[in-house]
This record gives sequence, structure tokens and C-alpha cells, in this order.
Amino acid sequence: MILDVKKLEAGYGKLRVLDGISLSVGKESVGLFGPNGAGKTTIINAIMGIVKPWGGTIEFEGTRMEGMATHLVARAGIALVPQERELFPGMSVADNLELGAAWVPRGKPIMARQLETVLELFPILKERYRQYVGTMSGGQQRMVAIGRALMANPALLILDEPSLGLQPSIVAEVFDRLALLKKDISILVTEQNVRESLRAIDRGYVIENGAVVLEDTAAGLAVNPHVVSAYLGI
Amino acid sequence: MNRNLLRILAALVAVAAVALPAFAGAYPLQVARNVILYMALAITWDMLLRSGQISFGIAGLFGLGAYASVLGVLRAGMSPLLSIAFAGAFAGLAALLIGFLILRLRAIYFSIVTLALAEIFRIVIQNLHDFTGGPEGLVLDGVILGGSASGLYWLTLAGLAVALGASWWFEKSKFHFALTAIRNNETAAKSSGIDIFRWLLATFVITSVIQGFLGGIYGQSYGFATPDSVFDANFTLLPLAMALLGGIHSTVGPIFGAVLLGLAAEWLKLQIPYGHLVVYGVIIIIVILFIPGGLYGLIKKANRASEGRKA
Repeated sequence: MILDVKKLEAGYGKLRVLDGISLSVGKESVGLFGPNGAGKTTIINAIMGIVKPWGGTIEFEGTRMEGMATHLVARAGIALVPQERELFPGMSVADNLELGAAWVPRGKPIMARQLETVLELFPILKERYRQYVGTMSGGQQRMVAIGRALMANPALLILDEPSLGLQPSIVAEVFDRLALLKKDISILVTEQNVRESLRAIDRGYVIENGAVVLEDTAAGLAVNPHVVSAYLGI
Repeated sequence: MNRNLLRILAALVAVAAVALPAFAGAYPLQVARNVILYMALAITWDMLLRSGQISFGIAGLFGLGAYASVLGVLRAGMSPLLSIAFAGAFAGLAALLIGFLILRLRAIYFSIVTLALAEIFRIVIQNLHDFTGGPEGLVLDGVILGGSASGLYWLTLAGLAVALGASWWFEKSKFHFALTAIRNNETAAKSSGIDIFRWLLATFVITSVIQGFLGGIYGQSYGFATPDSVFDANFTLLPLAMALLGGIHSTVGPIFGAVLLGLAAEWLKLQIPYGHLVVYGVIIIIVILFIPGGLYGLIKKANRASEGRKA
């Protein structure tokens, strides 16, 4: 397993958000689905060291990670594409991409090769290479955010609701790219747009009220009555 | 503007600055020393600002440096030049200890704590009568370099060279990337593997070393240190106004601001004694409201616009 989370508990103040979540990611693409407030982002924040877990374990490539500082999690090989894109708006695309690798031992030595891969994956970034990121559209910024995360040559790429705030055509483009990426890299993606994301994942978990209520393959989830009625709107 | 032309211009300004004592009298040299000192402080303030942290603690570390230098000579028998280096090291050590405590704070909380620094240092020094001379301060037997106007000018210019060198290094090294990233978005910076606390601490210590070093130069140049003179709020407010006027997040901006505001202050002091401080306040308000990027920001914007038209 690349990532193994067991009985994870976390929250904010006195509010318990995660109630003993267990999940794992191997060499595959895994989705986390659930409504607003289910705890998807909290799981990611706990893995990334942004939120300190109350209990449980997080193991990444055999190393215990719970409570580790965020910059060390990033250096260990987990790259995050946060929900709000969280870019460096006052910097160019080039600088944003370089920053993704500059401090990560896995990415720095092969920065040039990674850059080539990213620009091949998102050709628009090549055209806008010197443009300030703050002046770009939401969809383009999302591509910069994914590109920056890939620059680190991560063992695990985590994306928190990559479709949020994007028009449908761009959402489809983003998931097309993720479907391409999953051949080479482990992916953990949270989404509310289950229909689009099922194309890009191998397996998925449904999270409700801070607990896993369902786990299945993408094909299994697509025909599961609960998923169909609650998330696919059929 | 052509990059080579800018380099030639910068070299000419540097030569003129070094050669100034050859064709300027004692009064212009004194004015130039003031401008240079504030310029160097403005640059160090800006260096930390590049991380997004607004410090109001310049006067505290500057005053600490001035006292460390004067005490180094009087109590430890150091040579005046060594005492200036000691002043930088002492301020740096103080910043290292304080930084561990206050660099977990952000935005206004960090600013308020740094504002208190000068006052805390001043009160402590004022109350250590036997060691620091209390409110009357300490007087040296003489002024460094025999009080030569040219020598003191060059000494202050050397202080500026240190600040300029450090600022240039910040702009060209990984500091630039790290600090800009932290200023732009801390979550993204952390998620990219940047150890935010370490970079902030390093920046705070380096800028404090230079501020202490400049305080040492000041103390040795005037031959005395009193709590009211070396912890004067002007050592915080004037550099801040200069950097804002000239343009923040760069080395060039504070240089512009210091020359303009420094010379204007000298003229205004003669026209309206003490009224020049009101003019400073008005300038800060106007700049923040209408030209937040400062004068250098305006020039860069105009340059980009003209390049855009050419393209």
C-alpha cells in the first residue's frame, strides 16, 4: 500500500468530524465521495498535517505520518491540489511550477523532465508560461495547481474537489487528464461530481457523517442504488 | 529600460556615492549619512516584508545594537570597529531568541509584538543604571575614526553596502522564492515543502543583524547612546515611510524613497520645524491610497505597459 489510514479521528475544537475512518490507496486512483460536511477535506487535511488527528494512524510508504508537519509530508512525496487552488497569484506560471519541485527531494533533481511532462499534459500552460497566475481563469488556475503538484514527482497526488467552481467542459478536461495520470501515479481525489470522477478512478469510498458507508470499484459504485440515487441523480 | 544601461547607471551612482566626500562639505555629508542610514534600515524592513510580515521593531534592534557597541567598547574594551560587528551579532542573537517566540504569530499580532520590542528594550536598558548608565546613557571617550566627516560617511556607506548586498542576495537566492511564496499563500507554501518557520526565522535574524550593525555604526559615529536617542520611534517610522513611498518588495524602491523623503525632510525641517513629520504622515496616506506599489511600482507598471504596446 502507498497510503494506509486506520481508524482516523479528527475534528475542530470540540466538533468531531472524522469518526474512525479507514481507507487505503495502492498503485491506483481512489475517489472519496460524499456530501458537504461529510469530512472529505478533513481527511485530506489530516493526511497533509494541516489538521492534527485526534486518533488513529496514517502510514505512507511504510512510515507513520500522523501529526507530521505539512512541509515534511510534502517532502516525503505527497502532493496536494487544495480545494481553493491555493496558488501563488503574484507569481508567473513558471515560478508556480518551479516552486512545486524546489523543496521536494523527489522532484528537484528531475525538475526539467517533470516540467516537460506538465507542459505536455497542459499545453495551455506553455502558452501562458510567463503570465501572472492571478490574472488567469479558474480552469487555467486549476491546471497550474495540478501542474505544480506534479512537479514534485509525488508518489501520491491528492486532489480536493478539483471540479469545484469550474464550467462542465473544463471539468471534463481536468478528469481526462487525471485518467491519463493514474497510469503512472497513485491518486486520491475527493469529489461531489461523482459522474465525471468515476471515469478517472479505479475504486471509491462514500463518506457520510465522518464514516465510510460504502467501498467499491468504480464500476460497482456506478450501479450501486445508494450512489445512483444520492449522487448520480438518476 | 535596457538592462545594461541600468547597470552602468547603478555603477555611476555607486562611484558618485563613494566619491562624495571629495566634493561635499561637512553639512551635506551629514545629510547624506542620515539618508544612507535610513535607506539601509528601510531596505532591511522591506526584506522581512517580502514574507508578508510587517515589523515595527526596527528601532528596538537598532537601539540594542547601538548599546551593544557602546557597551562593548566601555565594558569589554573592544575596538570601535569590532564593537560594531559585535552589535550586529548581539542583535542577531536577541532576534533568534525572540523569533522563536513571536514568529508563530501572524499579521497584526506579529506587528503589535514587534512594536513593543523597542519599548521593552528601552525600559530594560533605562533601568539597568549601573551597567547602561540609566536614562543619561553612556558616553564614549571619542568618536570612531577621530570624528572625520569623510570617515564617518564611508563607515555609514559600508553599512548600506551590507544591507544592499543582503537584499540583493535575498532577491537572487532561494530566499526570494520562499518569502514570496509565504507572502502569497502559506498553505500552498507548506504544501510545496517550504518550512515556513525556518525561513521566517532566518529572515528575521539576518535583518536584525544588519539593524544592530547599523545601530553600532550610529552609536560609534555619535560617541554616545541614550535610551531616548537610539530607541527613537523615528528609526522605525521613517524607514517604513521611505519604503512605502519608494515601493515595497524590492531593493530599488526603498532607495528611491529614502533619497526623496530624506532630502525633502532636510528641506522641510528648515521650513517648518517638526512640521515635516506631518508631511511624512500625509505622504504615507497618499501612497497607500493612490500608489500602493510606490514610485518604483509605478515605473515598473509604466515599463510593462510600454513593452506591451511594443509587442
